[in-house]
Order: sequence, then C-alpha cells, then structure tokens
Amino acid sequence: MSEHMTLGDLDAAQANREAADAAQAKGHAETVTAPAAAEGAEGRVETLSMQQALNRALADVMEENPRTVILGEDVGRLGGVFRITDGLQARFGEQRVFDTPLAESGILGMSVGLAMAGYHPIPEVQFDGFAYPAINQIVCQVGRMNYRSRGTLPMPITLRVPSFGGIRAPEHHGESLESLFAHVPGLKVVSPADPEQAYHLLKHAATRPDPVIFMEPKSRYWQKGPVNVGGAGFQPGGSRVARTGKHVTLVAWGAMVARCLQVAELAAEDGIEVEVLDLRWLKPIDTAGLAASVSKTRRAVVVHEAPLTAGLGAEVAALITERCFGTLRAPVERVTGFDVPYPSGDLEDEYIPNIDRILFGIQRVLEYRRG
Amino acid sequence: MGAHLDRLVEGVDPHLNVQIHEAAEGTTGPRRPVILLHGFASSAKLNWEDAGWITALTQAGRRVVTVDLPGHGGSPAPEEMDAYSPSRIRADLLQLVQNAHVRPLKDGDDATGVDIIGYSLGARLAWEFGATQPELVRRMVLGGPSVHDPLADFDLPAAQRYLADGTPIEDPTTAELLRMAKLVPSNDLYALLTMIEAIKIEPFVPSDAVPHMPLLLVAGEKDELARTAEELARLSGNAEVLWLPARTHANAVTSRAFKNAAIDFLAN
Amino acid sequence: MAEISFPLPDLGEGLIEATVLEWLVAEGDRVERNHPLVEVETTKSAVELPSPQAGKVVKIHGEPGDTIKVGDPLIVFEVPDDTAGIVGTVPKEEAPKRRVRLSPVPDED
Repeated sequence: MSEHMTLGDLDAAQANREAADAAQAKGHAETVTAPAAAEGAEGRVETLSMQQALNRALADVMEENPRTVILGEDVGRLGGVFRITDGLQARFGEQRVFDTPLAESGILGMSVGLAMAGYHPIPEVQFDGFAYPAINQIVCQVGRMNYRSRGTLPMPITLRVPSFGGIRAPEHHGESLESLFAHVPGLKVVSPADPEQAYHLLKHAATRPDPVIFMEPKSRYWQKGPVNVGGAGFQPGGSRVARTGKHVTLVAWGAMVARCLQVAELAAEDGIEVEVLDLRWLKPIDTAGLAASVSKTRRAVVVHEAPLTAGLGAEVAALITERCFGTLRAPVERVTGFDVPYPSGDLEDEYIPNIDRILFGIQRVLEYRRG
Repeated sequence: MGAHLDRLVEGVDPHLNVQIHEAAEGTTGPRRPVILLHGFASSAKLNWEDAGWITALTQAGRRVVTVDLPGHGGSPAPEEMDAYSPSRIRADLLQLVQNAHVRPLKDGDDATGVDIIGYSLGARLAWEFGATQPELVRRMVLGGPSVHDPLADFDLPAAQRYLADGTPIEDPTTAELLRMAKLVPSNDLYALLTMIEAIKIEPFVPSDAVPHMPLLLVAGEKDELARTAEELARLSGNAEVLWLPARTHANAVTSRAFKNAAIDFLAN
Repeated sequence: MAEISFPLPDLGEGLIEATVLEWLVAEGDRVERNHPLVEVETTKSAVELPSPQAGKVVKIHGEPGDTIKVGDPLIVFEVPDDTAGIVGTVPKEEAPKRRVRLSPVPDED
C-alpha cells in the first residue's frame, strides 16, 4: 500500500469536515452531505439507480483509461446478474469486458497478473460469499504484492463485491465480509450508501494505484437518487455526515445508512436529534471524522449487518473510545447481526438490524448512567 | 404416513419410500389420490418427478402418492428374494393404500378409492392390483403395457456372467435392460437381478386376473415392448388405447399428450 | 428489456447431450418459473425441463430430434430490465415501522 494515498484520502476527509463545519456555521447543514450536487456546475444532475450509477461509473473509467478491463462470472454477455456491467462488452469489446470460468481464485489470480502487466482490472465476485475461494489471492497477493516488490508492482485492482443481505437470496448471497477484508494489510475497503456515493467512489477507486475492495450494498441497487454525473468537487475521502444531530451519532455503512436515516427521522419525532455518519471507507477508517462527530454528540451507536463478534463495530468502538473517552456519556453501543451463519431469506428480517433494534440501541446510550 | 404394526398386511413393514404430493394451491380435482407405479430399474423420481408428472398432476388438482419399488430409488434393497415377488409387492401396495386411509369406492364420493398410473413393470403390477382390488381402484392408466413381461425372458445367467467377467450378452432385450439399469447410479444391480429372479417365478399372465374398471392404455408407436397393448385391451373389454407418434418405450413417459390424456381420463 | 439465455443444463451422471423430443412452449409465449419448457431424452431417461426463469420466450434452440450438448444454448427469454439478479428478489420500499419510543434526553451535565 502506498502510504501517501492513505494520507491523501484522509486529507480529503479533513477538507470535507472543514466544509461541513463552515456550512454548519452558516446554517446550511443539509448541503454538506453533497457539496458536489449542490455546486453541480461542471456536471449534470441525473436521477439514477445505484445499478445505473455503477454502470455509468464503469463506462466512464473504461472510456478514460484504455488499460482498464472488467472480468468476472457473467459480466460480459449477460451484463452481470445485477446488470451492473450491462452493455459494456458490446461497447468496449470482448478483450476488455470478459466472462471467466466459475473460479473466484482464478478471477483474482488473473487480476493480479493483469495488474503486474500494467492493467487496471475491475474484477467482480458475483456474490459476497463467493469471495471465500479467492481469499488466498486477495490476502497473499492483492494485498501484499506492492509491499513485497518494494513498490515496483502496485496492484490497481478494484474488486467489486455485491455485498450484504436484504434480497431474500440463498446461502452465500447475503454476507458481510468487511471485517475480514479490513483486517488484511494492504487493502482498502469502501462501501457506498446511495447512487451518488456509488458513482463517485467507484470512479475514485478504479483510478487509484491501490487495491480497493468495493462492497456494493445489493439491497440498494434499485433505489434511485440524484447523481452529479461527471461533476467535479466530490470529496471521495473519509466519512460523510449524512444527517446532522446533537444527541447521538449513528455510525453505519452500505445499506445500513439508509436504515439509520429512517431511524433518525423517527427519533426526531421523540425529540432526539440523531447524527448519521456514513463511514464510507472501512479501511482506512476516518478516525478524525468519527472523533469530530462523537465529540459533539457524546454518544455513539455502531450499526452493521455482519455478526457482532470481531465485527468492524468493535474497531469503530475502540477508535471512538481512544479519541473520545473523556467526553463519552455512555459506552459505545453496537447493533449488529448475530453470531450465526447468515440465515435463509425468510429469516433475514430477524437477522439484519431493524428499526426497533437500532432505536433500542439509541435508548440504551441515552439512559446510561455512570456507577 | 404412519404404518400401524397391528395392521400390517404381510406382517413385516417393507419401509418403502412413499412420498405424498398435495394438489397445487387453488386447484380443484377429485379428492381420491393417484398412485404412481414406476418401471423396472427406474424410480419415482426418474419415472414421474423428472418426467414432469408430479407437476402436471398436482397442477391439475390431484393428490399424488409415489412409491419406490423394493431395490429401487430410496426404498430398501433386502437380500431375500421374496421381498421382490410381484405378489409381495401387491401386498405392499395394499399396505400403502391402507396407510393412506383409502376407503372402498362409493358412488358419487370422490374421496373414496384410488386411481393408479403405472408404467412398464408398474403397469403390470397395476393390472394385477386392479384385478384383485376392484373395490379400491376406480380407474387406471397403463403406460408401455404388454401381455408379456419382458423381464420373464431376461437372460439372468448371461447378465451375471457379464457382470462377473464382461462376457457380452447375446439377447438384445437383456442387454438393453441391463444397460438402462446400470445408467442409474442409485440402482442396486444385485437387488434388480434378484427382482428378475422373483418375477421369473411369478411371470405375468394377464388372463389369470383381469381388471374390469375403465383402463387407458398408452404406448409409443415405436415401443417394441408394448406391441401387444391391443391384446390387453381386448382382454379387459373396458380399455381405450392411445398410441403416441414417434415415441419409444424409453421416451413416451415425458409425453405431454400422454399426461393430458391420463389427467382427462382420470378426471371422468 | 434485456435478454437472458439459458444453456442445456447439466443433467447429471456424466451425460453430455440430450435429444429434443418436444417443445412445450413456443417463441412469443409468456412463461412462469418452473413451467414445463421442453422434453428431452438422454441415454439414461426422458425428462421434462422446467423453466429456470419467468419471462417471454424469444428464441428456442433445436427441433424435435436435434441433439443439444450440455452448455449449448437452449432458450432465450426477454425480461424487464429492473428484475433482480438470477438470485434473490428486489426489496420493496416500505414506510418505516416502529414499536420503540425514545425517552427524552436527560439534562446535560
């Protein structure tokens, strides 16, 4: 991993926060979430689903860099099971958008070779649970090659993984692997929460020299939102305040951001102002952004779909505690999936943190008393 | 379905693999079940499920009961030859009907009695069962039927020699039956050969017991084994015959025309 | 509208091909998932293949008597663009429901 990239991202995060603070000072809190959409001068705001936004981002990076290639199961002729690569093979040819055998280790192994040869591969692993057969390549090669070669063989690989649950699919189609990936040195991990984030974060990831695991919240593929297509001014680094509040910070990523925004709306009916922090980058985590939000609200609840134990919520809780121990009014609360294999579709609603479980989490930090 | 130990027809429960498929939701049909009897070296799954019969019947509002014959599909393959004799299997079928709480036929009550569809060996067993249980069986569809049981002519020593040392089998019917039997990995070849031994002792003699309920006989025009279906129809005196163009003994079973004719025939 | 093509599936036990006996759908038909599509015969047995997909049939491959290899195209469907992947269903957007109410924030110290 090239260190300056990480720092660069965090610098961008700092810039985001300064813009947020400035906007807040002026009383325009809402605009901080999407400064690019607000400016919009160089781009064009369109209403797109996340599916379409990702497709557009891929087309853009393919257009801009002829060394970008897309590979994976059914990404070519079919256009992907979720239609994310729809039309790209017809447009860019079978040399640059191609179907692979059903072998994830091969998809990632081939991506490593392509990266060594100077290409920018964008492999797709069709579903979260199918990443397991490729763990060896991801950990031992994608994450380490740059380090192992003293920086002579960077790995500009963007691994797209339709992730998390919520679509009533069978086993291996609803899992949350972020803590697995985040634990691997040399990888970056990011998850967009809405079409705007998806479009810009994918373009950002696919044009960087570092390997990025791009976790797409598949249950959010079909929801539409404004996207500032091609517009500059998007801040790709760090976390993002998706809603401002002063009583408690909900920290979330991927599909849980939308749910936390619903919770914040409901909590407002009870007079509780909830801040929703979309963490976005799950490695590196925007520690300063977390600290800035929780220093203000003094309470935090982390929400994720992955099982509780050794989940990324534990890392987030530790970072908050390290930075905000003195100001915290309650221990950081975690509302997560359970320590069980991801259940079948019928039981999904019981497993994924629902609105009431998140509200309970908020209640627990609100009523906590020392001693 | 719970077998009651004190009500065993033959005193021993053969533990045959019986499956019940309820009529599809929202459909209406006669409430009496349709019992499906598969052919030699086949199974309920191959003969009926994979061939689309379960879907077709349940969508037509029928409740379906399938059974794997001994030594076939998910049923046990006992060592003793008696378990495979046609008379013993008929007793097992009576047990199955009893366990399903089937009541004797009563005019105007569509919850009484059973209908049966049998294919090949299953057709022979149905013929005999219908003839001996006229108060239980209302109508029957017999697929690939013959007055003559091809298994009775099976060259058992040749098959055993072939299995032991690969000596080629001269009789083409024996060779073909063995080829089909070997293609299904779940088949227990030694159980199947034991069944043939048992059938040779009790060969099919259709005139010994003739079923008198309405019959539909169905066979492929190219079914070499069912050439004599018309003879069976004459014996019965109460049978329609349907010939399926271009079909053989092996592939008549999936025919949509066969299924539609059977469903219509059993609905009357 | 998008098109989805399905090949002749693996029929198990090392079977590499099947012969078309009879098509049960025609081009232009709308079919539901699991609706019977086609009868095919292998060296082992005859089977009726259920539809893996709901949609409009735009193309069928193979006349009765033709042999199709496992993996070769069998049928093509037309489906709406916004249907889910082959796996799973599109989640419905529902108004949030709650049972839990929050107590007011205690006085800040």
